[in-house]
Amino acid sequence: MTGAWAILKKDFGSHCRSWVGVLSTTAFLLIAGIFFTVFLFAYSQVSLEAARQSYEGIEGLNLTVFVLGTFLSNLAIILLFLAPLFSMRSLAEERRIGTLELLYTYPLSDLEIVLGKYLALLAKFGLIILPTLSYLVVLWILGATLDLGVFFAGLLGLVLLAATFLGIGLFFSSFTDNQMLAAGLTFASLAGFWVGEWFTSFLPSPWDSRIAVLSPFVHFRDFSLGIIDVKDFAYFLCTIGFFFYLTLRSVETRSWKG
Amino acid sequence: MREKKVCSGGAGMISVQNVSKNYGPLRVLHNLSFEVRKGEVLGFLGPNGAGKTTVMRILTGFFPPTEGKVVVAGVEVSRAAREFKKHIGYLPERLFLYPDLRVEEFLDFVAQIKGVPRKERKRDIEEKMSLCGAESVAKRKIGHLSKGFLQRVGLAQALLGDPAILVLDEPTSGLDPRQIIEIRELIRLLGRDRTLILSTHILPEVSAVCERVLILNQGRIVAQGRPDDLEKRLRDRREVLVRVRNQGEEQKKESVGQVLLSIPGVESLQKLAQEDSVSSFLLTTTLDDDLRSDISKRLVEAGFPLLEISTKRLSLEDIFLKLVVSEEPVEAA
Repeated sequence: MTGAWAILKKDFGSHCRSWVGVLSTTAFLLIAGIFFTVFLFAYSQVSLEAARQSYEGIEGLNLTVFVLGTFLSNLAIILLFLAPLFSMRSLAEERRIGTLELLYTYPLSDLEIVLGKYLALLAKFGLIILPTLSYLVVLWILGATLDLGVFFAGLLGLVLLAATFLGIGLFFSSFTDNQMLAAGLTFASLAGFWVGEWFTSFLPSPWDSRIAVLSPFVHFRDFSLGIIDVKDFAYFLCTIGFFFYLTLRSVETRSWKG
Repeated sequence: MREKKVCSGGAGMISVQNVSKNYGPLRVLHNLSFEVRKGEVLGFLGPNGAGKTTVMRILTGFFPPTEGKVVVAGVEVSRAAREFKKHIGYLPERLFLYPDLRVEEFLDFVAQIKGVPRKERKRDIEEKMSLCGAESVAKRKIGHLSKGFLQRVGLAQALLGDPAILVLDEPTSGLDPRQIIEIRELIRLLGRDRTLILSTHILPEVSAVCERVLILNQGRIVAQGRPDDLEKRLRDRREVLVRVRNQGEEQKKESVGQVLLSIPGVESLQKLAQEDSVSSFLLTTTLDDDLRSDISKRLVEAGFPLLEISTKRLSLEDIFLKLVVSEEPVEAA
């Protein structure tokens, strides 16, 4: 597995030096920061209002769910745009510049190539998500009482969601040498899940839930509310495994061009 | 230098047995069989599109053959693809490396993939860079290298991990004449203690570097031998087919054979067939000039009716016409 590790290091290093990597990471952190601040102010306003007017059910107002839960759900939407940007280069670029031919002739198994590529994508995601943990410190300094269990369940959900998005992105990157096409197809399919989920509400029961269950966003929602369900977990693992397998098969098919 | 692994089963380092390759419905290699001995420098010569790169790609494990088998160092390729790739260093024809990496970063990446132990990696990389003359660009980005240096880095990556076999696909294509000379010099040096397979469409390149040549055309091996022999055959020989009525040969001063051999330029003669009173001869002429008019004149003078005369094109000659046979001399700078 030293081969997979070498690929991970190379890809991650290239990402950190590329303009896509620098810009996307900066943009993500900027947007995430704005969201977090907005939700925090909204919460303080709502809770102030609620305390003043002594609404019923004020006890149900929960900082973790209100701020962090909403925050994570919004990150999921940002990921929808970011995942295609991260994954588009992965294999398509190697195919385009012709370095895939070299990789194929090194003592590497196809599994190592795909695994290295996939882990590099997860590392790119780690690079943008780790700094957001500092927001917890901000909340702690402000003296908030946090339900860490709920937060980390939501974070786990976000990681699984990202892993699924990137798995789909890697697959679309594996059979073309055109980055834009890879990004476009990835975005289209992710957006399809997202938009498709709204439309399922127009379907008659039980079809609405049967179709909605295909969408990763539905499974993420439970996590963001602090619920870890084996069903959701299994859904993510199966989807990741499925696309990983498809990518592997796609890499096994050598291109005759070049 | 690490010791080369000696393969089982004699001196054959690579054995290609009845290999064919299809690209979809198109067959590009037809039943190829050849052996490469340990330490040999073998050249693949052929015009563009002859199937050289396909052979190289099969030998390097890029893709498997459609039919037949390839045995490298006693290991059948399809059985242990990873294991066998460790024996092979490959320089593809169109070399594309990661433009955003520095040369030493790239070589470190390759050394790691090839399983060079961490402690030896630095030494191995430095050794290969200096061998290939790439140490001056170690810190440069690959995207900023000239084609000549890129080729040196390409050779260095192929050499990392000391593979017993080097496969170089058109190693001098796209280089300027001075770079070509330098790279050839390097290849000759590398071939001293390695098994080396080289493909090219340039005849003098083969003569300069290889001990043995396989000529490939339209996916078939059409000739093989020592480069100087092949070159000689290609350069100087022309075959002329002559059909003569030799009726009453016994009463003439000389036989048809004697007449033909007395023509200046005819080197040898082979009698092909004798049907009734018609004899067919195949002449080998050493000169480049067309001897047909001399031949017909002499035969008529000697009283033998000439029925047919034609220069027989060697099948190799067709290929040869498509090859690059000579190069402009390079002025020393």
